Amino acid sequence: MKIDDDKYLRMTLNERVQHFLLLSSFIILVITGFWLKYPEAWWVRWITVLIGENAFNARSLIHRIAAVAMILTSVYHIIYLAASPRGRKLFIDFLPKRSDLTEFGNSMKYLFGNSAEKPRFGRFSYIEKMEYWAVVWGTVIMGATGFILWFKDYFFKYISNTGMEIASAIHFYEAILASLAILVWHFYFVFLNPDVYPVNKAWIRGYLTRQQLEHEHPKWLEEIENKEPVNLEPENNASEALSEIMIIEPKETKTETETETETETETNKDKADNKKNEPETSEIKSEEDNEPERKPVIKNNDEVSDSKNEDNV
Amino acid sequence: MEYRIKNIALGIISLCLFALMTIIASEYSGSKAKSTDDCLSCHEDKDLVMDSDGSKKSMFVNPELYKKSAHSIAECTDCHLNYKAEELPHSADKKLENCRTCHEDSKGLEKSVHAKTQCIDCHGSHYTKKVSELKNEGDANCMSCHKKKEIAKFSSTIHGKKGVKCNDCHGDGHNVKNISRNQITEMCGKCHSESKMNFKGSIHHTVFKGGGKKTPVCTDCHGVHNTISSKHSIQSEACLNCHLDEKMFPGTETGSAKFVEQYKTSIHASIKKGEMESAGCTDCHGDHMIDSPDDPASSTKRARLIETCGKCHADVVANFKKSKHGVELLKNNEKAPTCSDCHGEHSIKSALLSDGASKLVMADKCLDCHKDGKIPHKNFKGEEELITGYKNSVHYQALVEGNESAPTCSDCHGAHEMELAENPDSKISKKNIANTCGQSDCHGKQLTNFEGSIHEKGVNAGNQDAPTCNNCHGNHGIVSKDLENKLQKSRDLIQLCTNCHESVEMIERNELPTKVSETYKESFHGLATRGGLKEAANCESCHGYHNVRPSSDSLSTIHKNNLPQTCGNCHPGATEILITSKIHLTDLKEDSPWVFWITRFYIILIFGLIGFMLLHNIQDYRKKKKSNAKNEN
Repeated sequence: MKIDDDKYLRMTLNERVQHFLLLSSFIILVITGFWLKYPEAWWVRWITVLIGENAFNARSLIHRIAAVAMILTSVYHIIYLAASPRGRKLFIDFLPKRSDLTEFGNSMKYLFGNSAEKPRFGRFSYIEKMEYWAVVWGTVIMGATGFILWFKDYFFKYISNTGMEIASAIHFYEAILASLAILVWHFYFVFLNPDVYPVNKAWIRGYLTRQQLEHEHPKWLEEIENKEPVNLEPENNASEALSEIMIIEPKETKTETETETETETETNKDKADNKKNEPETSEIKSEEDNEPERKPVIKNNDEVSDSKNEDNV
Repeated sequence: MEYRIKNIALGIISLCLFALMTIIASEYSGSKAKSTDDCLSCHEDKDLVMDSDGSKKSMFVNPELYKKSAHSIAECTDCHLNYKAEELPHSADKKLENCRTCHEDSKGLEKSVHAKTQCIDCHGSHYTKKVSELKNEGDANCMSCHKKKEIAKFSSTIHGKKGVKCNDCHGDGHNVKNISRNQITEMCGKCHSESKMNFKGSIHHTVFKGGGKKTPVCTDCHGVHNTISSKHSIQSEACLNCHLDEKMFPGTETGSAKFVEQYKTSIHASIKKGEMESAGCTDCHGDHMIDSPDDPASSTKRARLIETCGKCHADVVANFKKSKHGVELLKNNEKAPTCSDCHGEHSIKSALLSDGASKLVMADKCLDCHKDGKIPHKNFKGEEELITGYKNSVHYQALVEGNESAPTCSDCHGAHEMELAENPDSKISKKNIANTCGQSDCHGKQLTNFEGSIHEKGVNAGNQDAPTCNNCHGNHGIVSKDLENKLQKSRDLIQLCTNCHESVEMIERNELPTKVSETYKESFHGLATRGGLKEAANCESCHGYHNVRPSSDSLSTIHKNNLPQTCGNCHPGATEILITSKIHLTDLKEDSPWVFWITRFYIILIFGLIGFMLLHNIQDYRKKKKSNAKNEN
């Protein structure tokens, strides 16, 4: 959605808050996680200097708090995807499509082959979709194995020490994979990418510039320009929604998430692993069911936020 | 008539009386007695007395004894000169005639101590004895004049009982002598030749010859006439008489009166055998041959001390001679200690009376010499351990705090039988040290736990690599388990175990399980300990400490059946802990193929995916830079 001549809404405040919760919990999890695995690392010593001798005792607690925060954010995100029209549109736009394969192939040809034609991407390129689904995948895997390791005394009798070994191996390697992916993939597109260097501020400001859209999402820009001229109403609506969210949403999200966690934890206990997949898949179904409500989708100049992820431009 | 008769009778009687009196008077005054018989006619009266200076002196002469005496041939008047029969007393001049008008051969009498003594004092007057008779009479004659108590006891002394007579020392007949201090040694030596020889080599004699006036000769210790043979009294009265005199032996140094006085507090003086000290001066110093400790021949010379003490303490000295201390001492190593270096000299105390304080004293004593000593092997941290480290140990601290059963040096090293650890018989040798630590209920429980452990089996099999008490706990600097810093303790413990269980050499030599240390350090337990979690399990949490046993041993804490309990110590919620594979995954592919393949999968995934991402982004970067450059142009 076009806010004004040079501002195109990419992430609503709600989505930015989700993203912020995700990134902060993710960073804390990475630090407190590798802190355990590499207790003698130089940066661990700095933490010890900063926090104090007993920093390590707080480490596991912080890790768990961050983990819970991330799971709650994820749960909220699922609700967001299911419950709001914008969320449903967002989910649909994130779903992999056949065109993504073509785009990927073209991109490969452009990057590594002889093709001089730069592929033109829509709202979400294969780059962002990879990013998004990697986070979904990672959260599920890390959440499940982390949960087993957290409640080891309970799980011991079901999965034996071998199971614990497997869980901790997966947790570790998945952590490396996720961290490297964020570092190499996401950070490149958000920071080093010459189109946005030094930083794509969409995750802070919520909008992209026209130039950025031209470079990164030309198809989407086309869509926006072609569909409807810039309408002030949606903008107003959007800004109203934004202001509402700004004031009310954080609290609401919390209460919602809390209630959610209660139900969630129940389901968690039943099936730690599948839990997340299930809601998501159900979401997908519901999304599909709701597809008729495509109006917002068509309009969808609206910003799309991948709560969990990065937005790249 | 009658009256006349009475008068006549009276008159006759009085006449007769008168006549008798006249006769008697004439007998005394007028007639001159010419023979002994004449004299005896009066002097045989037992009641005949004479006033002499107010007391009545008997004038009785027993005629029979007189006639038996050597002088029976002599007339009274031969000796009683200036005799006037008519006078009473017969002679105003009481002086008897010199016996030597007759006995001209009694030479040398003037030179003897008896020069002023009357002949009759010894030989008697009227009943003069022959020399042979005098000899038979023995000392009684001397004693009749020499009535001092000290002399009077002579007959009850050893000399008196064995028939030694006055003249044996003082000389015969008229040559009776006083014996000067210079002569005494020789005099006694006539009979006591061995003692004399010994005495002549003694410090007492040496000083005496050098002019020491107060140095003792025989009689100073043994008494003169009242000779003492009892050991007890010699020591208390003889030696200490002089040696406790601060004027004679001033100062506080060795040899001073104060130094000797310490003896009174010693075990040797306090424990008595009957009346006697269990060990008196002479028992150690010798009697006649007593010498300065500096004299090589002296019984108290350092090198000879073990013989001297060994007279009584034979077992102890036999042990000592075998000990390292003893061996070195016998090699004349000047640094090696002898009895007195540890036990002291006069102030020697019994080890049986030892208390906490004396244990501390002992530690100081040992450390006096061993202050720079190092323990031959390094501790588990690879640090050199000093012998003086004992003072930082929990043992020493306990002693200081008043726990009297806490050990001092000898409790572990033994006292006299002390040996280097290399000696298999030593109390601190590899094989014996566990028993030493577990002795007399010091650490008996721990010893019981240790027995049967894999480590103990190794030690008993003579494996020098196998650890016993000190390899883990340290030697002298042994510290308490209740370290404040639990985490540090945990880390130390891991280092301790890994010293051996990480060493390739040790593992190969003893066929120890491999990689236990690496796998532990990578496990959650190990990571948490490395990170600083106090509660995380370390080696001993699972394996125990004293009773470390292999998992095949049913008593082992890590035996399959015991694992739930062992793990349950920390994971109480885990009512049934399922152990389906090894804990230390030393060979991932074999021990836990799942983990192995998952790891493989992820490594490939990470390298493949991230590699692709890198390439993709590098190309992306280049292309964008290029097109940007074009656009700018």
